[in-house]
Amino acid sequence: MTPCIVTTGFFVLGRCGRQAVTSCPQCGRAVCAQHAAPQSGHCPECMAAHGYGSQNPFDPSWTGGYRRRFYERSSQTYSDTYWYSSFDEFDRGAFNPGDDYSYGEGDFGPDDGTGFVDS
Amino acid sequence: MTGGAGAGHRAAYFAFDRFPSSKGSAVHIAQMADELFASFGGGLLGVLGGGGLPRYQREGDREIARFDAQIPNLIDRAEAFSGWVADHLEPHRETLEVCHVRDPWSALPVVALPGRRRVVYEVNGLPSIEMAHTWPWASKAALGKIRELERFCLERSDAVVVPSRVIGAAVRGLGVPEERIRLVPNGADVRERPERPSGAPERYLVYVGALQPWQGLDVLMRAFARLADLEGLRLVVCASVPERRAKPVRRMAERLGVAGRVDWRFALPHHEVAAWLAHAEVSVAPLTGCARNLDQGCAPLKVIESMAAGVPVVASDLPAVRELMADGEHGRLVPADRPAELARAVRILLEYPEEAAAMGERARRRIADGLTWAHSRAELASVYRAVMAGGRDARSARDVPDTPGAGRDVPGARDARNAGAGAAHRAER
Repeated sequence: MTPCIVTTGFFVLGRCGRQAVTSCPQCGRAVCAQHAAPQSGHCPECMAAHGYGSQNPFDPSWTGGYRRRFYERSSQTYSDTYWYSSFDEFDRGAFNPGDDYSYGEGDFGPDDGTGFVDS
Repeated sequence: MTGGAGAGHRAAYFAFDRFPSSKGSAVHIAQMADELFASFGGGLLGVLGGGGLPRYQREGDREIARFDAQIPNLIDRAEAFSGWVADHLEPHRETLEVCHVRDPWSALPVVALPGRRRVVYEVNGLPSIEMAHTWPWASKAALGKIRELERFCLERSDAVVVPSRVIGAAVRGLGVPEERIRLVPNGADVRERPERPSGAPERYLVYVGALQPWQGLDVLMRAFARLADLEGLRLVVCASVPERRAKPVRRMAERLGVAGRVDWRFALPHHEVAAWLAHAEVSVAPLTGCARNLDQGCAPLKVIESMAAGVPVVASDLPAVRELMADGEHGRLVPADRPAELARAVRILLEYPEEAAAMGERARRRIADGLTWAHSRAELASVYRAVMAGGRDARSARDVPDTPGAGRDVPGARDARNAGAGAAHRAER
């Protein structure tokens, strides 16, 4: 039997492990009947990602959405100059990992999930 | 934007923190987000991913989205996260009623989103104070800008949730009116005494938590050096961080000649930490007397979880700790940054095991009577109810238009998408 390899759980994560019935057409992982999307058979992860549109600028679908949103939003500009350029090069420089004395995030590794308030 | 996002969520919780993880913050996020989703029939949880965590997850009516762009510079990463949050709010714009956020970069796109929704801002710490410790190179000006950002988001939130009165005072100092600040203390679960962990020494002191300078590991090591005469006593450090982050502390232990008596455990799952706590002679929380602990305040889970495990605590005598335990009743409070005092308090507790056991028992009862997660969650649920019942007029009165005629839009996805590229350029230079 091929087990379903969808990640489940909220605080303690595990694998689903039920009998897989199909494989996701997008990422190819084995999915069970509970986790496969009704018509398309996508896995939950690809389904959810699809709902938020593509985050990849090289994806053709991204361009259309980006252009539309740009024109939608340009009528009410977020005061970009206010926050988004308020941190200048000098401010940012202090937050580079791996500099001398930067505590904790000596290098940016896969196990750094560090938030701002690191407890 | 249809299809996958399915029905729009009524609630969302955003945190610039990896979830799940072995850190105390993850325990906290799990409880708070769980309560939010229980109150609003599911919702969206937006957190940091990476480390092999799936980018999206669906658990019934809950959805977990994880941001995993690898952007080295923290500010660049934070701003990219802001943009990502904005993108993930978009499909739920019509249905969203409550947003719960944990930091200014999560809060910014939420408070800037056009339309009306309730914002609950949970302040466990203020980056403008804490980052001064974690990033010593950060200029006063940069921290000032972060404080401005905090203030901007706080004054647009409907409720500010704080885990301790000290943090409440710090938030009041940023100009948030008293009636909007709600105290929701941290909690712990009182459980049956777990099995003794395998490989546990006969008698040991335990330290649980991360290893930043303000945790006072240096004080603890110096104190432990003074207890060298106690036969067979070991110190177990259950660090919530990966091993490579422990280098400075381990070097220090070697210099002080205690390295041979210290056992290290790294990034243990939560239930294993509980077992190490339950079988310890004493649990130590040697927080230092620095700005992070005194001005900003903290609500150390290690103290609460030790009390819940029924082990006497020796902790630094700081206002934030005094809120949780009383000296002589649930353990001992000693002056911060005083290794000799810390060592003496531990020594005396070890001399009087019956008294120590009684303290542990009293501590356990104190948690059971008022500091469990169930209590905290009930508090939080009442905050949500109050916020939902709160008149919209109160909210609109506070809505200060920033520039006349300009509505606020979310921080452009443009910035977010380019942040990665920008960071890459910066890294190359």
